[in-house]
Amino acid sequence: MSRPYAVYALQRVAQAVVVVLLAYVFTFLVISVLPGDPVSSTLRDPQNNFTEAEVDRIIAYYGLDQPVWVQLWESLSRFLTGDLGVSLRSNLPVTRLVGDVLGSTLLLAASALVVALVLAFAIAYGTRNLPAPAARVLRAFPSLFLSVPNFVIGLLLINIFAFQLGVLQVTDSEGLAGTFFAAVALGIPVSAQVAEVLIANLDHEARQEYATFATSRGLRRSQLFWRHLLKPSSLPVVTVIALTVGELLGGALITETIFGRTGIGSLVQRSVTTQDLPVLQAVVALSAVTFVVVNLVVDLVYPLLDPRVDLRGATRRLRPVAEEVTA
Amino acid sequence: MKTFRAASRALRSRQLRTVTAAAAVLALAAGCAASGNGSEQGDGTKKAGGDVTFLIDSLGDSWIPNNSAISSFQGHIWGHVTDKLVYVDEEGEVSPWVAETWEQNDDATEFTLHLKGGVTFSDGSPVDAEAVVANLEIWADGRPDDGINPIGLFPTTYDSSQAVDASTVKVSFTAPTLGFIPTLGYHGSILISPKTLELPAEKQADLGNDIGSGPFTVASWKEGDSVVLEKRDDYDWGPEALDHEGPATLDSVTYKLVAEPSVRTAAVQSGQADVAYNPSPQELDPFKKQGFTVAAPRYLGFVNGYALNTQVAPFDDVAVRQAVQHGIDREEILSTVYTDDWLPAESFIQSNVPGATDHSDEFAFDVEEAKRLLDEAGWKAGGDGIRAKDGKKLALTLYPNPYLATSQAVDELVAQQLGDLGFDIEIQAYDVVTYGERVAVGSDAVPAYEVTRSFIDAGTVGGVLVGSGEDWFNLGDSDAELSDLAGQVAGAVDVDARNTVLDTLQSHVLEQAYFVPLTQIVQRLYLQSPKLKGVSYNGVAYANFFTAYLEG
Repeated sequence: MSRPYAVYALQRVAQAVVVVLLAYVFTFLVISVLPGDPVSSTLRDPQNNFTEAEVDRIIAYYGLDQPVWVQLWESLSRFLTGDLGVSLRSNLPVTRLVGDVLGSTLLLAASALVVALVLAFAIAYGTRNLPAPAARVLRAFPSLFLSVPNFVIGLLLINIFAFQLGVLQVTDSEGLAGTFFAAVALGIPVSAQVAEVLIANLDHEARQEYATFATSRGLRRSQLFWRHLLKPSSLPVVTVIALTVGELLGGALITETIFGRTGIGSLVQRSVTTQDLPVLQAVVALSAVTFVVVNLVVDLVYPLLDPRVDLRGATRRLRPVAEEVTA
Repeated sequence: MKTFRAASRALRSRQLRTVTAAAAVLALAAGCAASGNGSEQGDGTKKAGGDVTFLIDSLGDSWIPNNSAISSFQGHIWGHVTDKLVYVDEEGEVSPWVAETWEQNDDATEFTLHLKGGVTFSDGSPVDAEAVVANLEIWADGRPDDGINPIGLFPTTYDSSQAVDASTVKVSFTAPTLGFIPTLGYHGSILISPKTLELPAEKQADLGNDIGSGPFTVASWKEGDSVVLEKRDDYDWGPEALDHEGPATLDSVTYKLVAEPSVRTAAVQSGQADVAYNPSPQELDPFKKQGFTVAAPRYLGFVNGYALNTQVAPFDDVAVRQAVQHGIDREEILSTVYTDDWLPAESFIQSNVPGATDHSDEFAFDVEEAKRLLDEAGWKAGGDGIRAKDGKKLALTLYPNPYLATSQAVDELVAQQLGDLGFDIEIQAYDVVTYGERVAVGSDAVPAYEVTRSFIDAGTVGGVLVGSGEDWFNLGDSDAELSDLAGQVAGAVDVDARNTVLDTLQSHVLEQAYFVPLTQIVQRLYLQSPKLKGVSYNGVAYANFFTAYLEG
């Protein structure tokens, strides 16, 4: 590997570590300034007639009587040694809580990404290879997908496939059918973004001289698509996929809620409503790591895929062409 | 005017609220599309075994038995996995369970419990006097240094307990505690294996480690997703009152978390599940017409209503407090927000509580009387219809109880009704954590504190009302008569004598209009498949599937 690439890669990794640590500290501070904590709000619930002495001893057990910076220091040093602490809400170790739901979210996100890519590719292929009226209709699909909220799609799918057709058991949310329909609900909005970029880039490439030349040589539309347009148009899609990680994680909450799945989304929701700081810390750190790793991989892989990328402008990335994006 | 200040809850965004609205619309569509589902009706024969699926909106927070809050979702699981010393039914009647008999001394400070023989925890250890003492100790004291709470509402007068022999326990109190025996039927007082009690908090938080002696055991569970309960075949010590011998009929009960209410009800409607917990009351009528069972058991406790802060304007004036009492049309609340399953309040405690008496005349709906009271108190209507006195408007802020889904709808209706009288009402809705932080009994900002709470024995009533207790009305000791009555209720040594005092206490509180009762509370609502029969509901309204069976 070349020297500039090694320097570039090191720089990117160092940046990534700093981003994760900052995200961790920032979450801690934001949640610490909010009023209340789950332990004292449960204990001081008027339904429980605990004495202040009992409440104080339990608060002390959780270390919540310490100044914020002491709590932050302890939390951060534990985090750096891989110990994520104990959930204030459930008393279970955070590693167990996150571990229990991580697989389900990863499966959902990965399936949704596959659904999104297949859909996006099908739409993009159609816009270049179908007769004009049909292609025009297809071009409207991404905007449509983006404008229909995720939860409406989810509820429609449940209504039709679970309650009308009976192919989906709502009590078996982690099963094959449950995962498939949840992935469709989550994948549809994501497919819109990918499809838009892909279509715009196909259009862009199709106007290039080499494409005009190839067409004039008598190449059919599908041959032109496969042999010449697809590869250069797909490269910016890699960037867009990295950006959809946020969409996949963010959309997962609503999808999980509607489909009754466990996952990072539902864990975050419960932890936010109860201000379960250790769990939120872990999830924020995990999300930051995911974002950073995905972007890092893209940044590290891109120069290898496309030699035109200038490594000295380390953060510069080949941007997708967006001139014909309508929505 | 409404103000929502839940900015800190980023995820409780408008989007989630929209989800609920859209879901309701879709559910309605589903309801119209699906025909009356004939296959759901059983043929009347009792099936052996069977599996029940229960869709629930949350599984609560901690599985540490002591730390799971009172009135929590975990009560459903604990009710099946564990036994209690006594059984308390819907009418507050106490009957034997693991304790076969008991006696108390004359001043109700010492109780002796005689335990049933042959009762075992599912880890094989006996439910004997030693085990009961271990449980009593941890209910009363917890282990705060290890992060384990005492249980809420356990009598604070508890002194000590000792095992006299293998099947006899003697419990002592520092003051008369007539409520002790009924409290043993409360859902916090569950008998857990001493081996579990010895575990550190982190281990007790794993439901799989929590061993009881109940008719079901935990077969598997997944945090935030589901709990599967399996019948215990050697179970033979159910409460006599349930009239069911031997093990449960059902093989298993699965609790599955489905957060979206319309999905829960639609799943029961389409036969994918047997019970939907906490459906919206407004959704229920079409289901009833299709033959589905709606169970709306009341629990023992306070009714839903407002505890008024007597130290804050405008409620420092008894006439204004009485005007609010008479200005609320409870029938309209019942017919608008609820269904026939809800009852109007007759006092500030639920009418099924032993000792509760009907005082509905004392706060009956009477617009003219309410107006007269406000006029007399000097609150005159201005040009905008809002009353004012000495340049100050008759303003009131209501804080809907976030634990009760229907609370905001009720408050909106109340705002309308009191608005017609000349009140200027604002509603501020908070989520649970913010509510707990901002809305407190006796706070100057909270003139009307919305209360509903379960208790199992009226002996606890007196304590919460007065200055030395929770001081619901912010009276301190200023009302000597109330303090005296409350003291007599708390310190009573005889139930009949206590009931007489309790009647006077109810009259006094309602005459002084310290409390504005709204409706009797149904906090646990069940929509069930018509095939599911024999479900019982105890004094705190948890569904018990020990006696339940499915029809073929």
